[in-house]
Amino acid sequence: MSGHFGTSADLESALERFLSAPGETRPETLRNLVRALKAAIDAGEKEAARAALRRAILPGLDYTSVQSLLRIHQRLRRELPATPPLVRLAVLSGFTLDQLAPLIDLNLAATGAGADIYTPAFGTFRQEILAADSGLYAFSPKVVFLATGWRDLAHVPLLTDDRDRVRERVRLEVRDLAALWQTLHERLGCQVLQNNFDLPPWRTLSNHDRRHPAGLGSYLAQVNQALAEEAPAFVTLHDVDHLAASAGRWAWHDERFFHHAKMPCAPECLMDYAHSVAAILGAQVGLSRKCLVLDLDNTLWGGVIGDDGLGGIRIGQGDAESEAFQAFQKYVKGLKDRGVILAVCSKNEDHIAREVFEKHPEMILRLDDIATFVANWDDKATNLRTIALNLNIGLNSLVLADDNPVERALVRRLAPEVAVPELPVDPAGYVQAIERHRYFELVSLGKEDFKRAEYYRVQAVREQAQASAASVEEFLESLQMTARVGPIDTATLERSAQLIARSNQFNLTTRRRSTAEILALTGDDSWITLTVALADRFGDYGLISVLLARVREDRVEIDTWLMSCRVLKRTVEDLVLNHLAEAARRRGGRLLRGDYIPTPKNDLVRQHYPRLGFQPAGAGDSGSTSWDLPIAEDWQPRRHFISVTRGEA
Amino acid sequence: MRETLRTQVQEVFRDVFGDPDIEIRDAMTADDVDGWDSLMHINLIVAIERRFGIKLATAEISGLKGDDQNIGTFLDLVAGKIGPR
Repeated sequence: MSGHFGTSADLESALERFLSAPGETRPETLRNLVRALKAAIDAGEKEAARAALRRAILPGLDYTSVQSLLRIHQRLRRELPATPPLVRLAVLSGFTLDQLAPLIDLNLAATGAGADIYTPAFGTFRQEILAADSGLYAFSPKVVFLATGWRDLAHVPLLTDDRDRVRERVRLEVRDLAALWQTLHERLGCQVLQNNFDLPPWRTLSNHDRRHPAGLGSYLAQVNQALAEEAPAFVTLHDVDHLAASAGRWAWHDERFFHHAKMPCAPECLMDYAHSVAAILGAQVGLSRKCLVLDLDNTLWGGVIGDDGLGGIRIGQGDAESEAFQAFQKYVKGLKDRGVILAVCSKNEDHIAREVFEKHPEMILRLDDIATFVANWDDKATNLRTIALNLNIGLNSLVLADDNPVERALVRRLAPEVAVPELPVDPAGYVQAIERHRYFELVSLGKEDFKRAEYYRVQAVREQAQASAASVEEFLESLQMTARVGPIDTATLERSAQLIARSNQFNLTTRRRSTAEILALTGDDSWITLTVALADRFGDYGLISVLLARVREDRVEIDTWLMSCRVLKRTVEDLVLNHLAEAARRRGGRLLRGDYIPTPKNDLVRQHYPRLGFQPAGAGDSGSTSWDLPIAEDWQPRRHFISVTRGEA
Repeated sequence: MRETLRTQVQEVFRDVFGDPDIEIRDAMTADDVDGWDSLMHINLIVAIERRFGIKLATAEISGLKGDDQNIGTFLDLVAGKIGPR
């Protein structure tokens, strides 16, 4: 047994040394980690090895290190029982995928999603899409990644073309791609991930390359802009041009490897490319992080507030490092404004820490930007659990930004689900240190995202109202809730897709569907779709519940029922059930059938159907249960406290 | 000199092929190393360039697996790129 303990302890410490190593010593710590991983696998500790491997896969790793980790990943895949992957992906491209596809697979394993990937020979993407009997359709992917590069463009202009002719060529370029998307969408109902086009580093027209309409740089920029404006909701754009620019265009375009092996970019840039693709695909299956937890002293400002006082901490204009702290706060505020939840986790006296947010004139972040504020002397792993609980999200939705390497190591060990990026000593590097991990990738961006942070703040006020109301009924009445109920339509599609991709807790079946698949259901008569948006006197929650049900003669089967946990215990479920019953009856339904499929996260709704009066109708594999509710004439609608402003279509 | 280089290159081979027992000799060719396919070829080139801070030309990358090439000529190539130390 001591050898057994030794193996996992060795693995743990090898992983921590690797994760906290500065760039120059990383290859040596990697070699140690690889040895420890192999020893763990040989000792039968395969699950532990897989967990450690996932955490070691970082976007900034060099190509050679990544290959060592990839080999271990592939060995574990052979030796461990297969878990059903969440991503079924086809990658179609004009370049070779021998290196890129395995790295996408590796990065998806790191997110926990796992993937089955289909890659036909390079340069055959048009044939694969157009021929209905191709391997692509036999594989039947949920997502198709069109990994094109500018050499795949078919209408590149001549220098003699005038502006109108070039505009026409841009239109043809987008039309060609749109025809491929449409074919994929019709035949597979899948989501499409489309590369934009990376500008090469050379400019034959030098500084006129972006000004002359037919310059290659100008042309690619116009095509990229047209894609951004015209791609439909079932097409997600992947900004490869940003990757190339971030890497440095000459470093990205190592043409030796294009000439030798038709690789899309320099080998050293492939990991970042794959990480970027995997981040999008991970987001589509609900694996983005949701909350950035901030340490205070030397993270948000320079110095220690408890020692240096309000006048002594360094933040704001006039001093270079103070400006860097302020710039980091501006970046964080930008994340908050688009829906990332912010929390504070600091070893400090609560009132002293809060005072900085209330009184310091140079602070960008204010108390009402912070959804939950925890300043005390407990250990940070415990506090992070409290934060996750307060916000009703999982530990694996948290990212911790903390300048202190000891705290980072402690949290990595005691709360390994929390992402803890290394921060450099210099605050000017904080933004990049967080940004490069792509923790907060978006499925889509809508006005709901801009309001989310506000919801969490108003929640605190609402809880105070609850404390002062005499009974639950009185409280619910006092909220003056109003709902907009309707089917999934163009106005509600994006937000519905986001909830279907992301909701974990109040989600009866956790079935993920792409925007494209949802769109297909809305046009199908045998499906009922329902969405609810809720407001009360404290604010507007936006769209918070989605239900999908399938009509099978007089039985209506609830395929998906989910709700945002922000509106728990507000009788929204009762309202939804009433609307479903009404819609079902209109189509001749006499019985509602609901299933509960347990996951590690949805215990909250285990009793959902019995609470609503459904009767047991059997149990299935791995703890799933079925429930029936007859909705003949004698069934009475449920009581709720919400007035409906717009009925179902 | 040559033996030092051989040991260093051998280390790279061991890392790249994930095999701590690989021994490289002048007369060996790509066919003698298990798994030296076109994918591993790229991995090897990238690792060698990184280890020695050198850059191989396009023709050198493509030519390494040619008929008249073996580990000996590969070591010569790397030695020539590094220059006298």
